[in-house]
Amino acid sequence: MLLDSLAVDAEAFAARTGWEAKPEGLCRGEVCVPAPGAVRADGRLDVRIVAERLRMPLVHDDAHGLWALGPSAGGRTLASADAPELTLPLVDGSGSWSLSSMRGRRTILVAWASW
Amino acid sequence: MWQALHAEIAPRGGAVVTVALDVLADRAAPWVQAAAPSHPSVLDASHVTDELLGFVNVPMAVWVDEHGRIVRPAERASIDPPPPDTPVPEGLPERLGQMMVEVRKIPRDGPVYRSAILDWIDRGADSPYVLSPDTVVARSAERPATHARAAACFELGHALFQRGGTDAAAPWWREAHRLFPENWTYKRQAWTLVTTPEGQPSDLIQGPNDVYEGNWLDDVVAAGGGDRYYPERVL
Repeated sequence: MLLDSLAVDAEAFAARTGWEAKPEGLCRGEVCVPAPGAVRADGRLDVRIVAERLRMPLVHDDAHGLWALGPSAGGRTLASADAPELTLPLVDGSGSWSLSSMRGRRTILVAWASW
Repeated sequence: MWQALHAEIAPRGGAVVTVALDVLADRAAPWVQAAAPSHPSVLDASHVTDELLGFVNVPMAVWVDEHGRIVRPAERASIDPPPPDTPVPEGLPERLGQMMVEVRKIPRDGPVYRSAILDWIDRGADSPYVLSPDTVVARSAERPATHARAAACFELGHALFQRGGTDAAAPWWREAHRLFPENWTYKRQAWTLVTTPEGQPSDLIQGPNDVYEGNWLDDVVAAGGGDRYYPERVL
């Protein structure tokens, strides 16, 4: 997740990672991780605390003032078989597409590339 | 190929969605225009699907059922019929000949995978190719700290590529390559951007270059050859 500061909107964080800020901590599904101090006074999340508690790598490019927060380390790529929400632009630039729009159809999601 | 499959399965309740792992949309667009797909064709410029779903090469696919549940995690996904088993032509430049040798080691069982897809489309949860939720999670790739950090490095590199091109991105992409050498999307994406001549289609040979330590042929050989180019798939 790309960041331009060390505070992140909780909804944006949840949309990308699946981890939600709740009174009991940072939760994804039935799993909650205590994270005292993770929610700042302004309601945003303190990225350093979140990264430490969820074992997410945080990298920083000094010259451009950008950070990137990686996925939780340890375990498997998929935490559950529930497909994550995924929204991406259409290649032709005509709009965007969400994986949830495929509900009701058996869908083959295929990665390819020009290279 | 994927458009033909989509046309075949759409009347039976199935769909194909293609995800282009391309930093530059204009590299992917001509392929999409040529295929004229009736299915969604989307762009993943920062390779977020690597992180979320576990893609490490192309083509790879995930099967998602009508309820939004993954029933097969990311796996090798060619559906092409195998090419004729002809000898590698003589007289090719040495590296190109070596590349062809390694490419021919990549499993060529597209029809088997295509048949599995069709079975699932028709039989749904009764298909033997459907995995339980626990098996889906267990078969998804492990994520050690190095791979998690590589995902952050690649995404940061992508953001910097948009701002300053390869000069800005390369330090972070080199680090992603070092941390997660089994992720060919990180490497092939970066290599092709420095080996493709201006105005030309994406270079597929991705030979030695001055920006990155690796290149396609040497890295494939170091990984054990073309038969190790994708994670093992068990249908």
